[in-house]
Amino acid sequence: MSTVMDLSNALTGAVASAARSVLAVHGRPRLPSTGVHWRPGLVVTASHTVDANREITLTTPDGREVPAQLTGRDPGLDVAVLRADLGALPVAELAPDAELRIGHLVLALGAGPRASAGIVSALDTRGGRAETMAVDLTLYPGFSGGPLIDVLGRVVGITTSGPARHLQYAIRAEAVTRLADHVVQRGRIPRAYLGVGTQAVGLPETLRERLGLTQRTAVIIVNVRPESPAAAAGLIIGDIVVSIEGEAIAEPEDLVSALTPERVGQAVTVRLVRGGEPRELSVTVGERPPRA
Amino acid sequence: MLPPHLAPIAERLREITVEVGGHDGAGAGIMWAPDLVVTNAHVARAESLRVRLADDRRLEAHVVAADRRADLAVLRVPRTRVILAAVADSDELRVGALVVALGHPLGQRGMLTAGIVHALGPLAAGGRRWIHADVRLAPGNSGGPLADTAGHVVGLNTMIAGGLALAIPINEVRRFVSSVLARSP
Repeated sequence: MSTVMDLSNALTGAVASAARSVLAVHGRPRLPSTGVHWRPGLVVTASHTVDANREITLTTPDGREVPAQLTGRDPGLDVAVLRADLGALPVAELAPDAELRIGHLVLALGAGPRASAGIVSALDTRGGRAETMAVDLTLYPGFSGGPLIDVLGRVVGITTSGPARHLQYAIRAEAVTRLADHVVQRGRIPRAYLGVGTQAVGLPETLRERLGLTQRTAVIIVNVRPESPAAAAGLIIGDIVVSIEGEAIAEPEDLVSALTPERVGQAVTVRLVRGGEPRELSVTVGERPPRA
Repeated sequence: MLPPHLAPIAERLREITVEVGGHDGAGAGIMWAPDLVVTNAHVARAESLRVRLADDRRLEAHVVAADRRADLAVLRVPRTRVILAAVADSDELRVGALVVALGHPLGQRGMLTAGIVHALGPLAAGGRRWIHADVRLAPGNSGGPLADTAGHVVGLNTMIAGGLALAIPINEVRRFVSSVLARSP
């Protein structure tokens, strides 16, 4: 029985320790979300909980209200990075990413602190990289952007119930750090840009067989911005994009996921169907111009 | 090495948890003294109630005090030989602690569910303090114990809000029982 008690004590210790770097993020109407002090002066949260047109404030664990600026985001991964003057507030201790395994006991935290417990249920990949994981625990309202911690209180990721395949998932700490590093080095997270509007479209059985595709849908280009990377590469309205760099594009969200910040400036191979015939085009991914 | 498990706690809680039945449905209650059961006021709605012990003995109970606002009630039963609840200091409880609930959800007797303390504090600013637990409850858990890993009762399961169990901290229950007994010894 003492082992169960030890575990309970470990969990309360983990919550108390990690909660020192957890903030409430007021970046959308009504429900605040949660953020983690990742690097000195940089707070990460879930991108979908931060409205770019609002004044953003943070509440520190000791109840101070601090203004924050949105310095970058990756909507594909659902991470936003905020800058704020947080003084001596401790930064989160990160767990070594390579140690993460399916079945690990984890806790999700919200500001307060609030907590829920569960396990890592799947490790996912995006763009060939291990960036996200599915978790079997309840993400309560306002938890988005908060830390997922191990039983030692170390952060293994940040949770979001936002634009995801899974109801509950988390972005692995290493992927979050990579985004935070963009902000440290360049002052922003580059946002990949093609300049197309797309809609999901069903693929006829015969076409799927002929092209050896397992996906049931792809996206059809319904708009090409003039002088965009897509226009420069020769993409036209009516092209059906099947994959980018071998990653299946089954719906418009997959396009967002495939366009990682790292791909800005790189040439990617776009597989498409034009007039019923397969084609491959090389497209140099541009950077989305900053908001006016 | 045996894996850590909750069986000893479950056994202990099952013995201190009673079923409280009136004319409409049932809830749970805690054996507080050889002749006293504590439960929620919303469970103890009738003047006289039936209490069923873990060993199936049935006792007649009458309501000594019921406070609808506090949602707490004290019932008197004939003095009986039972194991009594061991009570923890709920002010010592921390977020993340493992907790278990015992009750009779949807009429299923003696069900144990487990989870962690989700938060401590009011639902809205200025409100009453609750233990918010990430533990599955259902109607029939009301009045039953929420306990720590020592099997000590930390709260009285009272309601469900937003998928979370809300329990009255046991220190508040203790103060309530003391004030009732001071008025009617």
